[in-house]
Amino acid sequence: MTIEGLLTRRSLLKGTAAAGALVAVGAAVTINQEEPALADSEGSAAAGANEQYGFLVDVSRCVACKNCVSACRSGNALPDTYADRRWIEEAEDKAGKTRHLSSSCMHCENPSCMAVCPAGAISKDSAGSVVVDKDRCIGCKYCYQACPFGVPHYNEDGMDKCDTCRGSGVQPGEMPNCVKACKFSALKYGPVSEIKAVEGVTQIDAPGHPSYYLKYPISYSKLDD
Amino acid sequence: MLQEIWGWQPALYLFLGGMGAGAFIAAAALYLMDKAHLAKSICVSMWAALASLAIGLLLLLSELVFPVRGLMMWQSFSQFGSWMTLGAWGAFCAMAVFFVSALLATPPIAAKLSEKWKFYATLRKVLAIVGICLGLFVAFYTGMLLYSVPGVPLWNTLLLPCLFTVSALDTGVALVEIITVIVTKAAKEEIPERARKVLERAVVVLVVVELVVVAVFVAVMMGADQATSAGATAVLSANQLVSGVLAPYFWGMVIVIGLLLPLVAAAAGLIFKKKSLEVAMCVGALGALIGGCELRFLILSDGLHADYVIDALSHLIS
Repeated sequence: MTIEGLLTRRSLLKGTAAAGALVAVGAAVTINQEEPALADSEGSAAAGANEQYGFLVDVSRCVACKNCVSACRSGNALPDTYADRRWIEEAEDKAGKTRHLSSSCMHCENPSCMAVCPAGAISKDSAGSVVVDKDRCIGCKYCYQACPFGVPHYNEDGMDKCDTCRGSGVQPGEMPNCVKACKFSALKYGPVSEIKAVEGVTQIDAPGHPSYYLKYPISYSKLDD
Repeated sequence: MLQEIWGWQPALYLFLGGMGAGAFIAAAALYLMDKAHLAKSICVSMWAALASLAIGLLLLLSELVFPVRGLMMWQSFSQFGSWMTLGAWGAFCAMAVFFVSALLATPPIAAKLSEKWKFYATLRKVLAIVGICLGLFVAFYTGMLLYSVPGVPLWNTLLLPCLFTVSALDTGVALVEIITVIVTKAAKEEIPERARKVLERAVVVLVVVELVVVAVFVAVMMGADQATSAGATAVLSANQLVSGVLAPYFWGMVIVIGLLLPLVAAAAGLIFKKKSLEVAMCVGALGALIGGCELRFLILSDGLHADYVIDALSHLIS
């Protein structure tokens, strides 16, 4: 039994309890053992990474519980004047069932926001996270226009967006708060090279090469016990 | 659905920056063409160009979250891969050249220096040429500022800087026309025939070119591949502009008032050659300014982001 397997089973139990043991949710939280060892909730990864990290969302497992959203707010101690750095997108599948997707900054390999920032306030760290230097930001909102996803938002401190929790002390390569909070293993974080190796993943097709990958359809593989 | 992150200040800046640049180009061209006439009109036009650019930049500063930080240009505009940085320094240099040009064109200074300083005429000529180059850069940059953002399909086409450049020249000529009519009327003089013809011909050419660029711009947007996120958004933006919520403003204020009215007024001036048509020239020029301003507001409002995430999700689950 690997540490990840143990932790994932623990996650399953927590998630199932939280969802009131609904059958549908139970299916959504089943564990797919074929995935490589991407860290998910409570997982850890080596700090000081020197490669592009990204997110993988298993759409079949995301139930819009918004644990990731609240963990992001509390973990980063975001004031009330700050907009959510993470949110839930949704769309209907063929059967008319609403599917959810935890979304945020895509931490692009070639970020458009960084390219247009006149002050050079936006940069990438050693794990490829796109971070903003609030002491340099002038709040021109050019980065919002440049971002293909319209991610940056603005408050009294200038531009704000997901920094994979660097501001709260999470080191490059370590798990962001949102991933730690996901009880359903829907949200994972790891090196893009490993995410790409996961069977059936799709990169969001947009300018800048977003480091954000999606997975579907539902995988009903057996429980990890 | 309209773009709301950038408000009225950037829209007005794009107009004032373009118009200011265009006005200097027109005034400098008139000076290079004929140094003996319209000295006052050229002087006032150069001051107006400078004021226009300065007011536009102040408006842009007021839109910043940290306006004071924005004033520290050496730090806030230090990343030269950004068109905002290039534009900020370009506009700064243009303002410096516009200021010196306008100062040297101001009658008491012009009278004194032209007598005592043999390089005066050469300096004005050089400043006029440098100012024209900087003006063209500023006019083009107002479009490049929007073009260089890949998130907004309507803006992410080189046709936009072309459109804004032509419109900047068009509105600049219009401003110079209005100033020339007012200044010459006040001095109870007449606009020299050659200058009037040049201005009216410029209006006709620029309006025709702008109409063509607008038509191609709209056609390209409407013909985008709707199977892609960017293409679908481009079509949505184009539809909003020509047949949706923005259509009355686009057809009424940009096409009819902003382009067709100045075209008719300028053509009438060229065909009938009556001095009384100076009023028509002013009305046409005023229409060009209204249309040019509205064009920036519409393009900015219509700048919708493509929804790559929802499209990827929908594609995945369907």
